[in-house]
Amino acid sequence: MRIHGAGGPVVELVDVVRRYAGGNGAPALAGVTVAFEAGTFSAVMGPSGSGKSTLLQCAAGLDRPDGGRVRLAGQELGTLREPKLTQARRRRVGFVFQSYNLMDSLSVWQNVLLPQRLAGTRPDRAWAREVLHRVGLAGRENDRPGQLSGGQRQRVALARALAGRPEVIFADEPTGALDLGAGREVLALLREAVDELRTAVVMVTHDPAAAAWADRVVFLADGRVVSELADPTVDTVAARMTAVTAA
Amino acid sequence: MIRLAIGTLRRHRGAYLGTFLAALLAVALLAGAGLLLFSVLTATPPADRFAAATAVVSGTRDVTLTTTREKHKKGKTKTKTERLSGAGTLPADLAPRLAALPGVARVVPDAAFPVELATTAGPVRGADVAPVIGHGWSSAALTPYRLRAGHEPAAGEAVVDSDLAARGGLTVGDEVRITTRTGVRTLRLAGVAAPTGRDALPAQGALFLADREVAAVSGLAGPTAVAVLAEPGADRAALLAAVRARVGGAPVLTGADRVRADLPGALPDYIGPISVFGFTIGITAFAAIFVLTGTVALGVRQRLRELALLRTIGATPRQLRRLLGAESLVLAAVAALPGLPLGVLVAHLVAARFRHLGVVPAQFTVRINPVVLLLAGFAGALVTLVAARFAGRRAVRVAPAQALVETVVAPRGGVAARAAVALIAAAGAVAVLAFVPLGGPFGMGMTFISSALLLCAVAAVGPLLVRLVSAVPGRLSAGTGAAGWLAAATTRVEVRRTAAVAVPLVLMFGINAPLLLNGELTARLAEDQQAARLAGADTLVTGAAGLPLDTAKRVATLPGVTGAAATVPTRVVLAQGGKPQDYAAQGLLRIGSDDVLDLAVEAGALSGDGTFAASADLAEAYGWRLGDEVPLWLADGEQVVLRLSALFTRYRGFGELALPATLVAAHDPRGLVSAVALRHSDGAVAERIGQHWPELRVVPTAAATRTDDGNQQGAWELLVVVSLGFTAIAVVNTFAISAAARRREFADLRLAGATARQVHRLVDREALITVLAGLALGVAVTSAVVVPFSLAQDGVFRLVVAPATYLVLLGGVAGLGLVAGALPVRLVLPRRGLPALGDR
Repeated sequence: MRIHGAGGPVVELVDVVRRYAGGNGAPALAGVTVAFEAGTFSAVMGPSGSGKSTLLQCAAGLDRPDGGRVRLAGQELGTLREPKLTQARRRRVGFVFQSYNLMDSLSVWQNVLLPQRLAGTRPDRAWAREVLHRVGLAGRENDRPGQLSGGQRQRVALARALAGRPEVIFADEPTGALDLGAGREVLALLREAVDELRTAVVMVTHDPAAAAWADRVVFLADGRVVSELADPTVDTVAARMTAVTAA
Repeated sequence: MIRLAIGTLRRHRGAYLGTFLAALLAVALLAGAGLLLFSVLTATPPADRFAAATAVVSGTRDVTLTTTREKHKKGKTKTKTERLSGAGTLPADLAPRLAALPGVARVVPDAAFPVELATTAGPVRGADVAPVIGHGWSSAALTPYRLRAGHEPAAGEAVVDSDLAARGGLTVGDEVRITTRTGVRTLRLAGVAAPTGRDALPAQGALFLADREVAAVSGLAGPTAVAVLAEPGADRAALLAAVRARVGGAPVLTGADRVRADLPGALPDYIGPISVFGFTIGITAFAAIFVLTGTVALGVRQRLRELALLRTIGATPRQLRRLLGAESLVLAAVAALPGLPLGVLVAHLVAARFRHLGVVPAQFTVRINPVVLLLAGFAGALVTLVAARFAGRRAVRVAPAQALVETVVAPRGGVAARAAVALIAAAGAVAVLAFVPLGGPFGMGMTFISSALLLCAVAAVGPLLVRLVSAVPGRLSAGTGAAGWLAAATTRVEVRRTAAVAVPLVLMFGINAPLLLNGELTARLAEDQQAARLAGADTLVTGAAGLPLDTAKRVATLPGVTGAAATVPTRVVLAQGGKPQDYAAQGLLRIGSDDVLDLAVEAGALSGDGTFAASADLAEAYGWRLGDEVPLWLADGEQVVLRLSALFTRYRGFGELALPATLVAAHDPRGLVSAVALRHSDGAVAERIGQHWPELRVVPTAAATRTDDGNQQGAWELLVVVSLGFTAIAVVNTFAISAAARRREFADLRLAGATARQVHRLVDREALITVLAGLALGVAVTSAVVVPFSLAQDGVFRLVVAPATYLVLLGGVAGLGLVAGALPVRLVLPRRGLPALGDR
């Protein structure tokens, strides 16, 4: 089913540079090369202003690098323009953000099917139902986001991301607005998506406990990859984080 | 609190821009309309023809009735006055009696009467088509006019003012033709005179005759005023007391009041425009308040989240209310700064247009009054404040916990109150439409009030109505692709937002369509009735300025003429319940066997001297029956009692009353026939008229069905243009406010996989649904008003009075709504732009 080779990276950034308007300060990304493989859960960490959100946005095609290349599922993003970029994204990528980004005027069920409707493809209702069941929201299909708790909303966002069978899910502080229990549930679901559906997950977080759910942690500082950690634990992440921040 | 309010205003400059714009325009409109009304209410005649007189005794200039009613054992006296269009005269022997009083240097009997002046080149009038007023030469001393060339007029001679001489290209020795109600005369120009320092008085041209010819030319029984000039050093107070004692009840006017002794037709008419400007301020105030309230409410609703956040950090509802209040006051104050100068500009523009249309006198100027401007600014602030308080009354009670929740929904409720408001407003509209006679002079005003009430009702229950009327377009839209489906969902769920945007559209259509359509209907009915009245006539004979009754009689009795009807336009004052009221009337002269003027008499028959005919509506309003002896006042204030002999129905563009022409010609200072309708057996009649009276125009009746309501219609159209402009800006404004607040929603959609184009399509579709809903309600309001108005006019049920106007308005409002809906999102969300994550 996956078109690109099973072993190849789903997301690949090579020498990615991103400057911001004004351009005097240090670039947000100063030549980042990193790859994310299918079926892996990666966390991106770093102090504030290290460029971790910019990295995620460039990787997802939500932002354009000023230099370097980004390949998403075998496709060169640099050559794509809107609306092709959106079309590529909605076929291959799912998003989970701190602020949920659900449509308040649509029901849970409508939100979950929205990307497929927008793509003009026939919604896979059976899979959508299955996904809602997996995130524990079976029976809440007709509720509106406004009637749900934060954790429930984030699970709807996750269900929406999964319903499109993406190759990669980008998550930006997905637990940032949630309490400990709700955050843990969301992380467990992301883990499950990696293990059972072989989806790649790239998650930006500042929380060592969240990063510990990943297979690998990439540390950024001043727009560069400064360190990596495989099979992280809360303690190793926290220690490495302290080292990175101090440097 | 003020500092915090200014702080929030600063931080959310964009969000307040819409409210600011609405407040600015509302203040500008209120100020503009206020200044116009103020200017017309305080307008003074531009110059005093009696400037050199110590005092002026005036003939009758109005009908004043005093009624005493017993109320709680106390007599309550009410005095009501109606101004005359002509001038009453004073006894001829008054002047010599006053001359005998001590301290009097000179007494001048003054006659003022309208004159139509013409040269071989055509009619001559004063500046801004001011009328030419005739006087005896002795009146020249009252201003004073002094000769600049030639000599005093002798019999068969005339002196005109310098301005008239210049306009007519006249020099001493030239011949001029003058037409008055007594006939046409050719006079030799004896001289040219002018008041000190200018060529003529503003608003009136002057023509002087030899004093002994005045009575014959004017047809006046005596002087219209008598001016008294005191001896130098005379005791003025004693003199005035003596004059007052001598004249009996006649008004003795001094100072600025002297001008009121002049001929009413020689003074600019500021009474008519009062109702026009009153109406203007009614419409603009309603639209301004309506729009401002809606905009402020929309703005407050969009800030619910911020208000809720303030609640979490410990703000009490009372503090929030004060914050909203302070904010709106600052906003209104800032908006007033550019709003008031803009209002002055609006007043000048409207006044210029009205002058051009002849709705206001050419001498009308806008007077800038600080109190009026302050009031307008204050009204703007008050409306903003009340609207903010009202919109925020529930918002400030938002539970603090809701601030942490992603979407803040204003607590629902208040439905009962809103429904009650809607019911009361709608009931008021129904009552007005059902019980007020819409066919009468107040018909247009009343239909405006009822559409305003209906619009209030629509606004009060807007979400409910919009949900109902958008159901069908929404369902249709849902079946057409992802964008259509989404648009259906968002308009249904966010029905309050949809309603907030739709209501200005309803306003735009619902207020302007009835004005335009009803105006067009009355104009068309008048034309139709004019055509029907003249259906039996072959030709219409008119003069450049009218023809004397005598000439009309001779035209009517030419060989070959089988029937003729001459009309002398005038005004008549009637009284009911102690309140005098002025009506348009015609002096009617019918000659010959054939009936050429068909007034559609439904009872009785048109008859001769001592009788009159009235429109059936008027007779019903006054409770007259055929054969009643009715007292009425003619243009010069003479009271006559006439017997009602006929009731007619074709009165539009004609007048409510038909009186004997000779009676009208004798008492209306102008007293000229406006047109003679002829029926003739042979075609040579036109030629014969041309031979005898080369200055007369002979036209087929079919080409002469236009009535004189042209400038009234023009005034309506200007009002509609102003209110269309304002409501259009309101429509664009609300669409923009609504779109600006949805950046986040659009960004979310983009993240969910929508292309920018899909978002554009979604918004276009939403705009379409909103526009359809708005138009449906607008059409409903319009129909509710237009149909009863039409029924009241002539009993015909008309839903679409003028299809072309209707379609243009419908298309214009729809087009504006669609463009206003489509544009903002394209600015917020460029087609090739990436989904925005930054500003959240």
